Amino acid sequence: MASVRFDNVTKKFGAFVAVANLNLEVQDKEFLVLLGPSGCGKTTTMRMVAGLEETTSGDIYIGADRVNDVLPKYRDVAMVFQSYALYPHLSVEDNIGYPLKIRKIPASERQRQVAEVARRVELETLLDRLPKELSGGQRQRVALARAIIRTPRVFLLDEPLSNLDAKLRVQMRAELKHLQHELQVTTIYVTHDQIEAMTLAHRVAVMNKGVIEQLGTPKEIYNNPRTLFVAGFIGSPPMNLIDGEVKNGVFVNGALKVKGLGRANVPRAVLGVRPEDVHVVASRDYGASMTAPIYSAELTGESTLVSVRAGRQLLSMRADKNFAGQIDQQIGVKVAADRAFLFDGESQNRVDF
Amino acid sequence: MTKRNRTREILVRLSAYLAILVALVVTLFPIYWIAANSFKFDIDIFAVPPEWFPKNPTLKHYRAAFVERPFLRYMLNSLLAAVGTTIVSVTFGTMAGYALARFRYPGQWRYQISFWILSTRMMPPIVSIIPLYLFFNFFDMLNTKSALVIAYTAFNLPFATWMMKSYFQDLPVELEEAAMVDGDTRWGAFLRVALPLARPGLAATAIFCLIISWNEFLFALIITLTEQSQTLPIGIAGRVTQYNTYWGEISAAGFMASIPIVIFAFMVQRHLVRGLSFGAVKG
Repeated sequence: MASVRFDNVTKKFGAFVAVANLNLEVQDKEFLVLLGPSGCGKTTTMRMVAGLEETTSGDIYIGADRVNDVLPKYRDVAMVFQSYALYPHLSVEDNIGYPLKIRKIPASERQRQVAEVARRVELETLLDRLPKELSGGQRQRVALARAIIRTPRVFLLDEPLSNLDAKLRVQMRAELKHLQHELQVTTIYVTHDQIEAMTLAHRVAVMNKGVIEQLGTPKEIYNNPRTLFVAGFIGSPPMNLIDGEVKNGVFVNGALKVKGLGRANVPRAVLGVRPEDVHVVASRDYGASMTAPIYSAELTGESTLVSVRAGRQLLSMRADKNFAGQIDQQIGVKVAADRAFLFDGESQNRVDF
Repeated sequence: MTKRNRTREILVRLSAYLAILVALVVTLFPIYWIAANSFKFDIDIFAVPPEWFPKNPTLKHYRAAFVERPFLRYMLNSLLAAVGTTIVSVTFGTMAGYALARFRYPGQWRYQISFWILSTRMMPPIVSIIPLYLFFNFFDMLNTKSALVIAYTAFNLPFATWMMKSYFQDLPVELEEAAMVDGDTRWGAFLRVALPLARPGLAATAIFCLIISWNEFLFALIITLTEQSQTLPIGIAGRVTQYNTYWGEISAAGFMASIPIVIFAFMVQRHLVRGLSFGAVKG
């Protein structure tokens, strides 16, 4: 159990900068999620902790130890690979017991510990099978068991759920969360799935192009995105990001007018507002931000996603599941200005108002 | 299934079997012929029309070759040279191949080194015969099996290295990474994970080295001059003399020469299965 600290860590592959000047401290027993699109440097960051990639510059600490020049075997971390990386020539039992075998733990003790871990992840009946005889979910459990059989200082999980089908993923997500709570081991978890990040993390680091755009609790990231990238990446359906101009606290894009944005003046602005903070009102409502024909209305089950055109973009809103409007029908649209965000189109940063 | 489809299927199968049969006859007939001749008297070997099956079988040629002449010795020499070469080539080829497949090299070095290794095979072997002869003469190694092993290894090792390199490159690198994170050294990951998974590659490379050095003629002809040190191909060629060609003995020795390779191929065949690493990665 230990914290993990990155001090000005940079990783370059040739001329390509994968991770740029990263500063981050993962606290002891914390579940930290590195979230970002593919190629943002999140996996590289994790691999540097494991010792599978060297840093180009900067230092990495696990606990109090600087581990830059420490071989993976001495770092005392456990990793679950996206591909699981099970040893195909070994049985489930030998796969799980491999870390103990390397540490020369006697066979009887090893067997006992494997049995115990296998019970925990419900693999006890499959111990003598080979990986190729297992389903995807079972393989995932073997990989997990191999990681938790010893108590490492840090768990590294690289998109461990991405190869599972949707239903199993939800179930394993809950189990992972429970397991981490039970084991109380510092965990770094890499994913591109923002729902996994939101549900699992104590803190989320949203990465883009090798830098952390924002670090915070899932709630902070969701409710208070600091950059345009974070705003667009978090949330499903995604936040509306409408281009326009702000003069004296009024956002204008064609027919769309949103008042009540303080006294902000931004010539190239982006208005960010989540679909749940845009409301359908009567087409003649005086307080409406715009009146427009319905572009599309999609029933998702729990609600109806309604969208209208705002300039060249679509503005979508979450309406009641009983919403009965038809395409081309005129509706009023009201943007909750107190729940909206303004971003500077040039710097991509939040503009407070 | 309609009747027409059924007929069609039978025809397709029949033609496939026919093709296999033709291929088998073409490849196996010479072997049958050499085996048949080895059991015939000299006069029957040249019979017209040919005697397809030996009517008066005899072991005369086997006695001539293996009792009266030192073909047993030749065979042993061939065996030692071939097995020695195979062990040395596969051992070093595996390690070199792994290094080329996995280690990090600055710039283009991985490519350059690989290419340089292969380039040693670009000249015909005969080019290196005179330097090798002088070299072995200088070290007083002519007529020794070590000299044969060194010479054969020199031209087997590049191939062994390349074959193993491509096998290791096909293995998912995560498996060794997982082993190292699990607490193993690079060497341990190589021994316990990469090597067992490269078994089909090892088997293929070993067969390849064994056949090449078992059949080798040119180097053995120059390096070995005494009966005590010569190999089977030299011994067999030696039965084509100024006055006579001893087809019976040649057939007997040739037929016996093919047997060890067949046995070895059967032995390693089960390791030649594909897809050993199937199920390692991806769900």
